[in-house]
Amino acid sequence: MADFGTLCLFLALAASGWAVIASLNGWRARLGELVLSAERAVYATWALVVLSVLSLEYCIFTDQFGLEYVASYSNRALPKIYKFTALWGGQAGSLLFWELILISYASLIVLTNRRRNRSLLPLVVTTLAFVSTFFLGLVNFMARPFVRLAFSPEDGSGLNPQLQNPFMAIHPPCLYLGYVGLTLPFAFAIAALATGRLDDTWFRTTRRWTILSWFFLGTGILLGGWWAYVELGWGGYWAWDPVENASLIPWLTCTAFLHSVMIEERKKMLRVWNLALVIMSFLLAILGTFITRSGVISSVHSFTKSDIGPVFAGFLGLSTLVSVGLLLYRLPDLKGEHRLDSFVSRESTFLFNNLLLVGAAFAVLWGTLFPILSEAVRGVKITVGPPFFNEVMVPIAFALVTLAGICPVIAWRRASPRKLVEKIQIPFWALLGGVVALLLRGVRDVYALVSFGLAVFVIATTVMEFVWGARSRQKVTGQRFGGALLSLVDRNKRRYGGFTVHLGFILIIIGVTGSSAFRQEATASLKRGESFSVGRYRMLFEDMVSRDSPNAEFMGARLSIFDGERGVGTLVPGQNFYKAGQNPSTEVAIHYTLREDLYTILTGFDPHEGRATLKAYLNPLINWIWIGGGVLILGAWFAMLPDLRDRRRDAEARLLEVESRAA
Amino acid sequence: MRPEFVRALSRNARANILLPVAALMLSLAPPLVVASVLAAEVTPQQEVEGRLMCYCGCSDLTVRVCTCGTADAIRAEIAGRLSDGESPGQVVASFVARHGAQIRSAPLKSGFDLVAWVTPFVALILAGSALVVLVRRWGKARGIPVTASGSPGAEAAGARTPEERRALERVRREMREKR
Repeated sequence: MADFGTLCLFLALAASGWAVIASLNGWRARLGELVLSAERAVYATWALVVLSVLSLEYCIFTDQFGLEYVASYSNRALPKIYKFTALWGGQAGSLLFWELILISYASLIVLTNRRRNRSLLPLVVTTLAFVSTFFLGLVNFMARPFVRLAFSPEDGSGLNPQLQNPFMAIHPPCLYLGYVGLTLPFAFAIAALATGRLDDTWFRTTRRWTILSWFFLGTGILLGGWWAYVELGWGGYWAWDPVENASLIPWLTCTAFLHSVMIEERKKMLRVWNLALVIMSFLLAILGTFITRSGVISSVHSFTKSDIGPVFAGFLGLSTLVSVGLLLYRLPDLKGEHRLDSFVSRESTFLFNNLLLVGAAFAVLWGTLFPILSEAVRGVKITVGPPFFNEVMVPIAFALVTLAGICPVIAWRRASPRKLVEKIQIPFWALLGGVVALLLRGVRDVYALVSFGLAVFVIATTVMEFVWGARSRQKVTGQRFGGALLSLVDRNKRRYGGFTVHLGFILIIIGVTGSSAFRQEATASLKRGESFSVGRYRMLFEDMVSRDSPNAEFMGARLSIFDGERGVGTLVPGQNFYKAGQNPSTEVAIHYTLREDLYTILTGFDPHEGRATLKAYLNPLINWIWIGGGVLILGAWFAMLPDLRDRRRDAEARLLEVESRAA
Repeated sequence: MRPEFVRALSRNARANILLPVAALMLSLAPPLVVASVLAAEVTPQQEVEGRLMCYCGCSDLTVRVCTCGTADAIRAEIAGRLSDGESPGQVVASFVARHGAQIRSAPLKSGFDLVAWVTPFVALILAGSALVVLVRRWGKARGIPVTASGSPGAEAAGARTPEERRALERVRREMREKR
């Protein structure tokens, strides 16, 4: 099966390479059949990659430890779900998985564009197949998943214990779907630049794909935070680790694009900027992959270090050269009619939002790469850790939140200051009321007061947008309020989906503020029957418990939890000792409520004295981060659904395409 | 009463310069206050823990949050040194002397390290200034002064050609009649 997998990968490389050559030459020589051959080669590549992935999974599931990859990332006792996820647990497998997603996206693009965008498609295929060929080259020659060992060990080393978590079944696929998805708008942008067809076709075609990538990248980041929270045992969810940063940077530039593209749609402005943002997002995704896999920056996430760094750097350099070169070449054709009716307009707020989002992306990138810079300049690798990012990012985040509050109430083109003041009056009083209420409840942390105050302001402006919109519709249609609201939202999915995303973002801000500003912690070394407290919770150490499974042995401390005098349940924080590995893995136990989480960790147990060392965190409002994430995902999903206007526009575009071909 | 320098500016200049400046200050003032307040709230132990990275190798966390045994040992040493009368700065310096500058959780705010701190904000300010210039140019390109005025005001009307003004009047008249 391993040989079959190897053969499939080699044939896939050949097919993908052919797709590049055929589509490029087909486009240059205007040979439709050659272009068609390239499109079929994309499907062939997809089938061959699927077969090689299935071959690798077969080898993992049948414990073929004669293969280096299987011996390194699986073992006999590994549960089936983690045998499946072992596909992306190591370097070679994860690159193969990346390629699977890329070629699946490419096939979908070819499939959905059989009868439209025919002028752009050859170069879209060229770009996608070129990126695919690069990744297939890596898995064929540099990070091969089907390498045989000289001998076949009895058992494998097993998957990294930290990856044996249900979140790891969905977090990496989501991130990859996001990262790889950024290749699609990039491919259309390159095709538009190369063909000179610089109208709005390229971004209209890829708008939904871009939101989808943004959605998956955001979901992946969120799930990664959740995984860190429940698995790593330090009570937090984001450590500004280089690999975390690498996923955040393209997400920020992609967010900027999703805002600025609206200005291009409405006013035909910012064409160069939007193309630059799409190119930047793709290059930053590749840079993130380079950081994750090259080992140039040390990170707890770098599970898969190898020597592919220089190759990735070369690919990044070449992609930058080609895309920036094309952009510069087409610059004279991209001069749009830049007009702005007023400084006080939604266009303006979007421009400043773009400034802040790209500024935030730059700040994170700068902090991530500064250790390399300092080593190059001074010979000393300076650590740039959480204190730096917190201090730099908080002002930018506050400015962004402020804009998220003002933006919905500002009209396109030109807003009247009088109306603007009218519209923000209620939210402003809500802000003041919220801050006063918090002060009366004893909150004195200025950071929290500002953050919560701004959150109230944004929620108020956003909710009022829904209410005003529904009332206007009520007047026109005579519907009841509920019906008017539903039809309003249904007719403007993108707009109200976007506002829902803003609400999700604000809930995340509330969760982050609460859990960082009001966090409490306590540590204790207890004998059975002793207790310790954190906040209003008391934890009574009852006994030690242990469980044995084929994969690991679990040892934990059973704690009875009391909220004041009332018992609220039992928690068993512990440690897993994996039989295939050496290091224990922390298994936290959490008492979840909407108000706060009680987060407990067993850091050690002395069997001689019968003492358990326990740590507890009280994380207020933390669950609002995940709830906010859910709202954000819901909003993004809603914004992706086509509304009446989109369907009409698509139909018109198809009609035009047919008419132009007939002519 | 408006200050003298504000009155001295033309209405357009007030809209173009003061509005963005005010918006920016409104956005950035609270965090600046926050930074100063936050800095005052931490205990010396917490301050030192936050300034040092755990060198256990199993995480990229500060000693403040890392839960491994190495972090426990570092925390105990910090507590001992502080109780012996060392200042937070001296405790951090002793760790840096033993483990190198990499143990610091963030660059210093002096010398070459200062570049790390100021660059993001310098870039943001430069890009922001360029954006303000661009927006002003885009406003002028249309022949309509960039103004905060909502309804097409006197300045805007004054900038239109006679044909445009007549067309605008016609549209307004027709809209009134339709109502």
